[in-house]
Amino acid sequence: MRLTQEELTARKRRNLWIALGLVAFMVLVFLTTFLRLKQNIAESSASMPVAEAPAWPVSPANEGVS
Amino acid sequence: MTDTRPRLSTAQPGDYFQLLKPRVMSLVIFTAVTGLLVAPGQMNPLVAAIAILCIAVGAGAAGALNMGLEGETDALMKRTRGRPVAAGRVNKNDALAYGAVLSLFSVMLLGMNTNWFAAGLLALTIAYYAGFYTLMLKRRTPQNIVIGGAAGALPPVIGWAAVTGDAPWQAWLLFLIIFLWTPPHSWALALYSAGDYARAGIPMMPVARGAKSTRLQILLYSLVLVPVAILPGVTNLGGPIYLGVSVVGGLLFLLLAFRLWRSRAGDQPEADRTHGGPAVGREAALYDVRIDAKPARNLFAYSILYLMLLFLALLLENLPASTLVCPSCA
Repeated sequence: MRLTQEELTARKRRNLWIALGLVAFMVLVFLTTFLRLKQNIAESSASMPVAEAPAWPVSPANEGVS
Repeated sequence: MTDTRPRLSTAQPGDYFQLLKPRVMSLVIFTAVTGLLVAPGQMNPLVAAIAILCIAVGAGAAGALNMGLEGETDALMKRTRGRPVAAGRVNKNDALAYGAVLSLFSVMLLGMNTNWFAAGLLALTIAYYAGFYTLMLKRRTPQNIVIGGAAGALPPVIGWAAVTGDAPWQAWLLFLIIFLWTPPHSWALALYSAGDYARAGIPMMPVARGAKSTRLQILLYSLVLVPVAILPGVTNLGGPIYLGVSVVGGLLFLLLAFRLWRSRAGDQPEADRTHGGPAVGREAALYDVRIDAKPARNLFAYSILYLMLLFLALLLENLPASTLVCPSCA
């Protein structure tokens, strides 16, 4: 089967746009993954409990001493 | 001897872009952006841009599925016979596959990018428009665009849900405005395209109930729409600019609906125009009408401006406080 020049040109153009669309989709998925990771890291570090300062050891010797 | 081999498509990328219904898509983008910016909460501008792209592509995919399913019907109507499938430039199955793939990609990406509630709403919109409206409602009831209008009204809710992960009453108020706006808008167009719809066997209101009943229903819907459209102005959703635009714009809408009700628009179906060449698939086909149909044409044209102005006013009032523009305002 021999394709006409018009058919070949149209197919080439469509293929080019499909390729561009797929590349754009890949970039979007990459960006989405990156942004999600960034957001999740920020959220988990914000929700982490702040390390409490160790309580001053109260020994019987110090009791009552102000 | 004739060449009987199956021909390869000569469809151009532009035909595939036309399948996305870019005119409808622009309104979807505009209302979705409004929903997204009006919603309280924080969102990365890049995430917001991807979300809007997903909503736009999802809406376009629904348009492609609609054109794929309606190719034969579109070919019978003056306004739609220039569409890619109706004109034979794109194969019906190609249009359906294109719509299905874009639906899948857009819903999936929106879910990954924002949340699955927003993605679910987008999937519902596509299924509702392409499946429920196109396949079931459109040919069965003159209330087709009333019920089917819900699909076109969902984008601001999706935009809102993309930010907050839920859909409070304020989002549904935006939905209600577009939902109530759709019948007067579509029926005004149908009044001067009734011949087209009758030929295609679509029971649009002027075909099924007549022009007089349609004009009355347009007026009644307008009387409900205008007060509802003012509501955001008296709630925390809109402010003085919105209130002014919705009151003045609403009064003009009512005036045009009243003039249409008193006119004889649609009483005589529009004959095929012979002057200026065939109005096929041209923008002019929407606005170039006979003198007695002008009140319908005026309301149709103004209704688009009215909706644009309402959402633009909402945007202007909420833009300075939006976390996309001013992250520290949160």
